[in-house]
Amino acid sequence: MSGDIILVIVVGTALAFDFTNGFHDTANVVATSISTRATSPASAVAVASLLNFAGAFISLKVAATVGKGFVSSHAITTTVVFAGLVGAISWNLITWYLGLPSSSSHALIGGLVGSAIAAQGFDAVNGHGLLSKLIVPAIVAPLVAFSAAGISILLAYRIVGKLRPGPVSRGFRLGELASGGLLALSHGTNDAQKTMGVITLALIANGSIPAEGFHVPDWVVISAASAIALGTFTGGWRIIRTMGTRIIDMDPAQGFAAQGAGATVILAASSVGYPLSTTHVISGGIMGAGAAKRFSAVRWGVAGDIVTAWVLTLPAAGIFAAVVYGISRLFGTGAVGPLVVTIAMMAGLALLFARRIQEAAPAPSAQ
Amino acid sequence: MTSLLAASALLKMFYSSLLAGVGVSAVFSAAVYGAIRSSDMRRAGRGGAAVAYAALAAAGLLLSAAAIVYGLVLVAHKS
Repeated sequence: MSGDIILVIVVGTALAFDFTNGFHDTANVVATSISTRATSPASAVAVASLLNFAGAFISLKVAATVGKGFVSSHAITTTVVFAGLVGAISWNLITWYLGLPSSSSHALIGGLVGSAIAAQGFDAVNGHGLLSKLIVPAIVAPLVAFSAAGISILLAYRIVGKLRPGPVSRGFRLGELASGGLLALSHGTNDAQKTMGVITLALIANGSIPAEGFHVPDWVVISAASAIALGTFTGGWRIIRTMGTRIIDMDPAQGFAAQGAGATVILAASSVGYPLSTTHVISGGIMGAGAAKRFSAVRWGVAGDIVTAWVLTLPAAGIFAAVVYGISRLFGTGAVGPLVVTIAMMAGLALLFARRIQEAAPAPSAQ
Repeated sequence: MTSLLAASALLKMFYSSLLAGVGVSAVFSAAVYGAIRSSDMRRAGRGGAAVAYAALAAAGLLLSAAAIVYGLVLVAHKS
């Protein structure tokens, strides 16, 4: 009974994480289209959320990697998964509050690893899996996106460079509708699967489904797809501003190149099961498209802040998760600990949003 | 063996995304070029050149769309 209560809390928390993932990553998907005026913010966000939903049904390889690749199965309990999720959500909200586009995916995996270490020690971590399926792809993928976007924009400028800029911009704005759509689809494909992997992991730990074969139930696929789509629809405007204009001021051809490079890297990674950070990849694409045109066009200081947030994500989410695991265990192995943490987290969230609304409200005019 | 598999997957991600990203971008740029030149030629009264550039634009668009659909089918099929 106690296990089932924790499972319900874990599934709810995982879907909440998926929602914050979509909310946080809306910027990655729509910022370039909006900043180059290829589409209006409202329609970009609406289309992105629909394509996020559709993308979640394309592949399940990333879910299997998240479920089996990083933490050994004997270390997984529903409380470990719960603590990992809360650690990831906490880090996501902090970086959202500060307007930093850090990686939700790395927060999730960092959280899982941190809580598994807190529960079972360092033996619980599959170091080889972490290195070969997470850390190396995390370094390589943004560099590939950077190179692909850079080469693409150089080629594009070579092909259309002597034509009148007005019609060229209109042409690439049309192209951005397709590349932005593809990016949204690829985002759903890679990111929604991470939540599917975590929920499936919790179901296995609870004995609800067999561990053999790692099968993701249909209801998990549909609910994860819905949560990420809803989160994307709600949007994260603070980060959209950072991604869309603060790294570089883009023209439509650069937006097209950055989105196209980002989408192809994420789709290629999904096909081999790498849980990439869409934030890393699209930032790499944007920087590549900017640097190829003019190296100094990229605001490297902002790019540096983003890199700092990336580097901090795995350990920070891990530490948060380890602390949450410790707090949960103060109340024993039952459902009380996760319940107390969930209530505390809801209260913290309410406070955070109240403060955000207060900050956003216009100051009263002087009489 | 595991390391070899990991390296092969990484290599596959590297070359397929680089080729697809650059390829689609180049082909779509050709489509934009064709469409604009076709419009210029039509205005200049050069019907034959306008048709040729329009064909380039159509071929570029079709190839871009085909590459995207092929990529998605590959990802869905292998997963």
